[in-house]
Amino acid sequence: MGGDYLELRLGELLERLSADGLAPGGGSAAALTVAFSARLVAMVARCSVRWDEAGGVSAQANAIGERAVELAHTDGRVWEDALTALRDAEAGEMEDPKRDFALEQKLEAAAAAPLEIASLGADAAALAALAAEHGDATYRADAAAAAALAAGGASAAAHLVRVNLGVRSADPRLARALASEQAAQDVAARLLESRR
Amino acid sequence: MSSYATLTDAELVRRCRADDAGAWNELVERYSRYVYAIAVRGFRLSDEDAEDVYQDVFTRIYTRLDSLRDDAALRPWIAQLTRRRCLDVVSARRDTPADEELTAEEGSSDLSDVEEAFEVREALAGLSDACQDILDRFFAQDQSYKTISDELEIPSGTIASRIARCLGRLRSELEAKN
Repeated sequence: MGGDYLELRLGELLERLSADGLAPGGGSAAALTVAFSARLVAMVARCSVRWDEAGGVSAQANAIGERAVELAHTDGRVWEDALTALRDAEAGEMEDPKRDFALEQKLEAAAAAPLEIASLGADAAALAALAAEHGDATYRADAAAAAALAAGGASAAAHLVRVNLGVRSADPRLARALASEQAAQDVAARLLESRR
Repeated sequence: MSSYATLTDAELVRRCRADDAGAWNELVERYSRYVYAIAVRGFRLSDEDAEDVYQDVFTRIYTRLDSLRDDAALRPWIAQLTRRRCLDVVSARRDTPADEELTAEEGSSDLSDVEEAFEVREALAGLSDACQDILDRFFAQDQSYKTISDELEIPSGTIASRIARCLGRLRSELEAKN
């Protein structure tokens, strides 16, 4: 991986997503989806001129969007490291405790980024709920769309946490990721349902 | 927080002129990061050069404080002293005047960021402890709403609104200062 995603044209970023087996992958895509969601909430807030808290909500949404883009980079980097270690392990000796420990460490790191992405997804969804409730009615559908994107990003990220942590379902990090996913999905379901 | 920390810049300058050691300590405490940030972020000096600038600037402040015409204009005066000293360092390391101009130009947006950051920090001091805490948690520590909710024991659904209201107060503080 190399370069800043923000400096790429959208077409170039999409090309890179589909280009090879390296980053950006699912985690980066989930993070960027959350970034789209957050920026959409910021737009709704900025367009809601009669909403007293719009400026403060917009600032929070932009901060979440920036963090999500940073996490897209982080996820790509740690995922490539884990992938390389995984391939080395597959090609190496059957028993190598040192190598296996290093691989486990890299997979742990690969789970940390999606955990944060899921959490950001929950936060973006919470802001979307506020924007839908208090923002200009013209943009409520955009707020609902933002919640749906946030839920999608959170779900994808929670899935990656589960996969990267392996079979240890009792791990509290998985519980945190699933709680974030659930929170984002609850908001999205409520906002989407209210528009039907 | 010491009693000096609540003084305005003008009051601080008056006490420094009266050789109040506590006031001098507060002045250094208040502006050390500012001087260092201009040198490192604004002019991209090395740590070693930034340290030289830092020492020189505070020596000049100590010896020339009487030349400050407006006591309330302490910060712009320190910024000017720092920028001049940084340019001295840059020009000593560059061969041509054109390069010096380029460096000053390159650093101008970073200098503006430094100024803005200090204005925000001053305005933050005018907010309640609760507002300062929640803004710090969200914007500086990158804490999620869930984490803030758990640690402060306030409902998760109210966090974003609380932050928004605190930001509104921060904006009022900044507008009052400007």
